[in-house]
Amino acid sequence: MDPKGPIPVSLFFTCLADAFAPGVGFAAVEVLERFGATVRVPLSQTCCGQPAFNSGNRKEARAMARKFLLSFPEDGYIVTPSGSCAAMVKHGYPALFRDDPRTLALARSAGERIFELSQFLVSVLGVTDPKSAFAGKVTYHDSCHLRRGLGVYEQPRELLRAIPGVEFVEMEESDRCCGFGGVFSVKHPHISCRITERKIERILATGASYVTTGDLGCLMNIGGMISRYGYPVKAIHIAEILAGGSEGGR
Amino acid sequence: MEPNANAFARNARKALSDRTLQEALGRTTGRFVAHRDAAAAAFPGFEATRERASAIKRETLARLGTHLARFIEEAERRGAVVHVARDAAQARAIAARIAADEGITHAVKSKSMAAEEISLNDALQAAGVEVVESDLGEFIIQLAGEPPSHIIAPAVHKTREEVSRLFERKLGEPPTDSIPELVGMARKHLRAKFLSAGMGVSGANFLIADTGSVVLVTNEGNGRMGTILPRVHLAVAGIEKVIPRMADLPAFLRLLPRSASGQTISSYVSVLTGTRRPGDAEGPERMHILLLDCGRSAILEGKYREVLKCVRCGACLNVCPVYQSVGGHAYGWVYSGPIGAVLNPLLLGLPEAAPLPGASTLCGACADVCPVKIPLPEFLLELRADEREQGLKTPGEIAGMKGYAAVMRRAGLLEAVERILGVVVQFFTKGNPVAGLPYPFSGWTERRDFPAAAKQPFRKQWKIRRGVRG
Repeated sequence: MDPKGPIPVSLFFTCLADAFAPGVGFAAVEVLERFGATVRVPLSQTCCGQPAFNSGNRKEARAMARKFLLSFPEDGYIVTPSGSCAAMVKHGYPALFRDDPRTLALARSAGERIFELSQFLVSVLGVTDPKSAFAGKVTYHDSCHLRRGLGVYEQPRELLRAIPGVEFVEMEESDRCCGFGGVFSVKHPHISCRITERKIERILATGASYVTTGDLGCLMNIGGMISRYGYPVKAIHIAEILAGGSEGGR
Repeated sequence: MEPNANAFARNARKALSDRTLQEALGRTTGRFVAHRDAAAAAFPGFEATRERASAIKRETLARLGTHLARFIEEAERRGAVVHVARDAAQARAIAARIAADEGITHAVKSKSMAAEEISLNDALQAAGVEVVESDLGEFIIQLAGEPPSHIIAPAVHKTREEVSRLFERKLGEPPTDSIPELVGMARKHLRAKFLSAGMGVSGANFLIADTGSVVLVTNEGNGRMGTILPRVHLAVAGIEKVIPRMADLPAFLRLLPRSASGQTISSYVSVLTGTRRPGDAEGPERMHILLLDCGRSAILEGKYREVLKCVRCGACLNVCPVYQSVGGHAYGWVYSGPIGAVLNPLLLGLPEAAPLPGASTLCGACADVCPVKIPLPEFLLELRADEREQGLKTPGEIAGMKGYAAVMRRAGLLEAVERILGVVVQFFTKGNPVAGLPYPFSGWTERRDFPAAAKQPFRKQWKIRRGVRG
């Protein structure tokens, strides 16, 4: 790929952003275009299949994974505002298709080309200045799949620190699970909430006005408890901060 | 102990509302995690040692039969008698027979998860042997009539206040909030037991094939007293505990205490090789080694073989947000935390522990700390898939997943569903977060709001804003 020319990127906006947070999808597009990407949005995409895969329903997960692989071009970058969906494609798909060499090859290729947004900006495009503006004290929650599944830790922090107006503050146990766990939060809501409580304690202890993360699942979970109890902090997706605090689109 | 892993959800709710337990868990697991992290950071060779230990275990398991045969040969050459038990019932029978043949009436026991696995104490007591637990934690829970709740800290769920009340009730000791005083009480009580016991029962952290040795890693000295003072020593161990050479041991001795409690080395490492020889100052006259198969051969043959690399350090329990929230008893059998969620279903059979693989958020913290690199999250996922294969999923879940997949296979259908859902949700919520979802999602919204569906999904908005260029 010619580094000087336009960078073709297919956006995997994710089913959660589609249904619950369209603003996150638009924020991702805005940021990618700001740094020279030509963003295509394959409209036949749906869901990566992670809920089915993580709950052990592999037949359904395979059906959705095939659908994903058919929806995206066979070359070029795939960027998504979700660490956990990217990790699913990268690590889950090869497990799903280990007995199907043809699909496995497609899956591996997609896995090599997929990046979470902050990872793509910093590690692929070499962005150091996000050219964003956002005012407030911000803390960052490492979603488990982004941190452990993709090894992305520094990138979102580098970006946040470089935004004028952002006062970045680390929370304790930033990479401790928020208690979401997808199907886990439905099957074991009480344990899930106990874990979320501790996460929220850590967030509040920083005195931040915003908690951000690279995963809508965590955001729904943490934000859901913040909303229920009216804690003095706002949960916001990192794409929205990078776009300049636009939360439009709802 | 009787498994009740299928009651995980009920056990967990009970644990969540137990305030003493919550306090104890918060305190202890946090301390273990901090110590472990500091110990790993302070040891530059930690990562390389993990790699080496993992490789040793993997290679040993690939030819376990050969290594076991060597171990048995070497141990017997040095005077031990080695027994192999196919299952728990056979193991109990062998232990009872050993006690009877050796004329044992009193035994002291040090901590052993393998012994828990076969309910050894019950078997010995049924054979007329008084068994006293000599590990402080085990001593406490034996008095309380409870099973262990942690692999290395069996009484981790108890506060010192509870222990004091227990000692007052069961031993007639005066109440105290001083831990050293509580330890002193236990020591006083146990000393007499050590001196009068005919048999010492221990587990084994490692079995060394080239010397036939049983290795014990302990902190309290009770393991050493119990294996040296009594006339007979019975060691109980899973067959997977074997490592090929004495030269392999240091790698594990570096990893185990660091991973478990953050110690550079544990207070005691005992290498017990055979019976007392002429001229030896100490050691048992008779040594029995009871090796447990109990489902391990089957695991060895399948896709979960690497779970047998486990050295029982408990590091995965300490970092697991689920274990930290509910403690060990919720898991309903001997092993708890992430390793228990994998091992219990494999040893008991998945139908006996079906909820355990689901008792994880899949956060992966366990894999980060496992000293021998067991891919615990991958195994949890595999077990969940096995549940589907074995017909252990609820019809509701399967129907839900089928419906979900059917919708997600067609973007057009998804759009239609989103449109209908959007209208319904907007009608009820006016765009505010959802405070009450219907069953089976109602638990989600008990203490959390759920976001309202967008008025218009992203896809729809994109089409309008940018045209259908895709």
